[in-house]
Amino acid sequence: MSLPTEAHSLSYLAAKLIDEARKAGATYVDALAVNDTGDSISVRNGSVESVEREDAQGIGLRAFVETAKGLAFATASSSDVSESGLRKLAEQVVLMAKISEPDPDAMPPVGASHPTIDELKVWNKKHPGGNPGWDIEHARDAALHCEELARNHSSEITNSEGAEASFGHNRVAYASCDGFAAEYGKSSASISVSVIAGSGENMQRDYAWHRARRASDLRDPRLIAEEAASRAISRLNAGGMESGHGTIIFEPRTATSLLGHLVGAVNGRSVLQQRSFLTEALGQQIFPDFVCIEDKPNHPEGLGNRLFDGEGTRCTAHSLIDRGTLTTFLTDRYTAKRLAMPETGSAMRGLTGDIGIGSSNLIWQPGSHSQKAMLKEIGNGLLVTELIGFGVNPVTGDYSRGAGGFLIEDGEIVRPVQGITIAGNLKEMFANIELVGSDLTWFGSTAVPSIAISNMTIAGQ
Amino acid sequence: MSNQTLDPASDSLPVSIETLQSVLSQMLPADADDGDLYIEHSTAESLALEEGRVKHVSASTHQGMGARVIKGEASGHAFTDRFDTAALMEAGKSARAIAQSNQYRAPVAIHQDRSSPALYQNVNPSEGVDFLKRKTLLEELDALARSLDPRVKQVFANVSSSFSDIHIIRMDGGHLHDARPLVRLNISVVVEQNGMRETGSAGGGGRFSLSRLTEGDEAKRLVREAVRLAILNLDAHEAPAGTFPVVLGPGWPGILLHEAIGHGLEGDFNRKGTSVFSDKMGKQVAARGITVVDDGTINERRGSLTIDDEGTPSNRTVLIEDGMLTGYLMDRQNARLMGMKPTGNGRRESYAHPVLPRMTNTFMLAGKDNPADIVASLDRGIYAANFGGGQVDITSGKFVFTTSEAYYVENGKIQYPVKGATLIGLGHEVLQKVSMIGNDLELDPGVGTCGKGGQSVPVGVGLPTLRIDELIVGGTET
Repeated sequence: MSLPTEAHSLSYLAAKLIDEARKAGATYVDALAVNDTGDSISVRNGSVESVEREDAQGIGLRAFVETAKGLAFATASSSDVSESGLRKLAEQVVLMAKISEPDPDAMPPVGASHPTIDELKVWNKKHPGGNPGWDIEHARDAALHCEELARNHSSEITNSEGAEASFGHNRVAYASCDGFAAEYGKSSASISVSVIAGSGENMQRDYAWHRARRASDLRDPRLIAEEAASRAISRLNAGGMESGHGTIIFEPRTATSLLGHLVGAVNGRSVLQQRSFLTEALGQQIFPDFVCIEDKPNHPEGLGNRLFDGEGTRCTAHSLIDRGTLTTFLTDRYTAKRLAMPETGSAMRGLTGDIGIGSSNLIWQPGSHSQKAMLKEIGNGLLVTELIGFGVNPVTGDYSRGAGGFLIEDGEIVRPVQGITIAGNLKEMFANIELVGSDLTWFGSTAVPSIAISNMTIAGQ
Repeated sequence: MSNQTLDPASDSLPVSIETLQSVLSQMLPADADDGDLYIEHSTAESLALEEGRVKHVSASTHQGMGARVIKGEASGHAFTDRFDTAALMEAGKSARAIAQSNQYRAPVAIHQDRSSPALYQNVNPSEGVDFLKRKTLLEELDALARSLDPRVKQVFANVSSSFSDIHIIRMDGGHLHDARPLVRLNISVVVEQNGMRETGSAGGGGRFSLSRLTEGDEAKRLVREAVRLAILNLDAHEAPAGTFPVVLGPGWPGILLHEAIGHGLEGDFNRKGTSVFSDKMGKQVAARGITVVDDGTINERRGSLTIDDEGTPSNRTVLIEDGMLTGYLMDRQNARLMGMKPTGNGRRESYAHPVLPRMTNTFMLAGKDNPADIVASLDRGIYAANFGGGQVDITSGKFVFTTSEAYYVENGKIQYPVKGATLIGLGHEVLQKVSMIGNDLELDPGVGTCGKGGQSVPVGVGLPTLRIDELIVGGTET
């Protein structure tokens, strides 16, 4: 196979980085080379507002050096992929690794349970990446269409923040010094719209978006426009409410944040650092027995599919919460060793900095109640459709966030509410889940239904 | 301060002037309102300590060029991180995509524009402070934290520095240069008592040399602060839920202004009429006596800029004067469209991001009240001495920010610390409920990062002690 002449292939760059790092004195090394290409177009009030084109590349290197006290490592990244840039990066990272403090438990990139060449071939055939099936004209027309539908939804829509359509693809090559090398591509297309209802001090904005691997898989623009416009309108004339305790239904859009807090707390690194309120919870029942949550790295709808993680470890589907019980922490190779737990293939690798830990596709198994049935079942409470702020303490699980939504009385939505806070503690909130909805909704790489939680505090007037 | 009084360092430009000249002449349509090339070379280094060891050492280098063409409300933007002529020309052509005209603008000669005096040194902040010095610093801070209290179980310390060298070539050929140092030190501890854990953190930094952190006492002060906050929170009671008078402490609580006021006054939202402040220019939006400024011209502050990312010298913009709304924050495009002047607030995270109107250092001027009297004025309320992060919805005006150090006060006396609670209010109402303004204006220690449109930029905030008569406190005690 011949290589394009103007730029080196990503696999070549990754392999070359490993060579250079070894020449510079690294004992063990792994490397990444990435290329992101994308276009996005935004429109407002029927005209094109901005056109953006991105063509980004980058290389990242992690090098370990042997010392008397064990292995020490450092990471470095650059957007300079020239031969001299590669060499400079390799020399820099080895120099830094020599300053870094050795860790007797360090896990060099050797001997991970890599996927086989056959598995790689099958995967790449199934997930070819490349352009998701749009060009800039298609994207522009989709954005214009979606924004027009949202603006014309009704006379209550008074202004627009515009619509945006984007499409792109990225390629990633990973190589480690044990001979594993793989390259894969990902593509995505997305559309979003944001409109405003009302005027003056009674303005409400809302939005809707969808992202998919192929442009042809995107939701109908009519549905996206309808969602954004009707949400903005439904919030008009929102008022406050009285302080008190009650049951809160998180619709899927806000329930995703609960999954986010869970993933943060079961991150093996946070557990090691004692920065998680679930540090001692492994094997314990932390949810009611009707709650099941899985991490699935190969799912037809999820955008978080991956064959291997940021250390080349093969990813496999696993349960996170099984009938209410926490079955595992998420680990990379280092945290698995330190916690004496299985590797879950959860290493997340960016070009810069240390390895992080995260899930692939996280799916909260839906229940049998429609959202309507959930309202009926709880009778009185609050449906939360918006959360703002960062009021979650990861160490204690203490939770206090700004919220907006709808007051529920006698099983019916009676009026929009804003300017309140909801508070509790995540441990108690998880245990106090009363109902899980049937309305499973995907947001990129998480899928979650509506969730009802009792005994939360609402602060208002 | 800088002893460099020479012209912008053209020697740091990684591309020849001739090449840039060709990119510009192939990029700009005859009817463009504006356009520029933004060439950046940035390096960043970070050392992090955990479990007593500095075992996370990382570095990154980013370089590239952003090309921009503006016509009316439309803008075309493209970037590349390759400096070869073909890639640069391609970026210019992509940025031209919004052009209506097939004609090209007549070429202009690129010439150096003398920018305002530098507010920080054109020196990489890590120069003279090698990795070993930084590592030693972190190890000393770890030891200090553990020596302060036996309940300290975990210490995380991170020292980072970056240096961004940027060149802006404007449509008129003006060539501006800025070199921006930035350093930051963060300390975070986990403490444990009777099986209960809590955390506390503190940080500081600015646009100065790392030696300021390795040599002075500031780093040690931050460690003491992080340990103090963590221990304090061990004994914190549940915060109350409901509407209370709240006294904000000086300094970082100025995040109130950033969220409640600042974002709503950014030019883009106001041009589009999507901010709750859109029609309020000249109207009273705060109690009399309140003056709020955005000031990017303070030496070596984290949010300061010698020039913004469009080459406009940064400014001191009065946003609210004696309670009246007097100013918006402007980049060039929004200023042109609104018939106003750019205020030096056009910022971008990097060459790979579009320019947006953003804040620099946003703070309220001091008043006359004695801070102790302000706290003592609370019959039954919350004294919030410090905060974590915040967020705003500029359309409805709702904003939140979350306490990291707060106390329940009764009869003017502090009773006990309370757990972190989110406070919520409306941006166009909250400052009308201010009844006392302290004489103790403080700027934050240099920790702010503002997110907008997916872009992060360093900012500063500041506040004197302030009494707000009514704010919703999101605790759990009713």
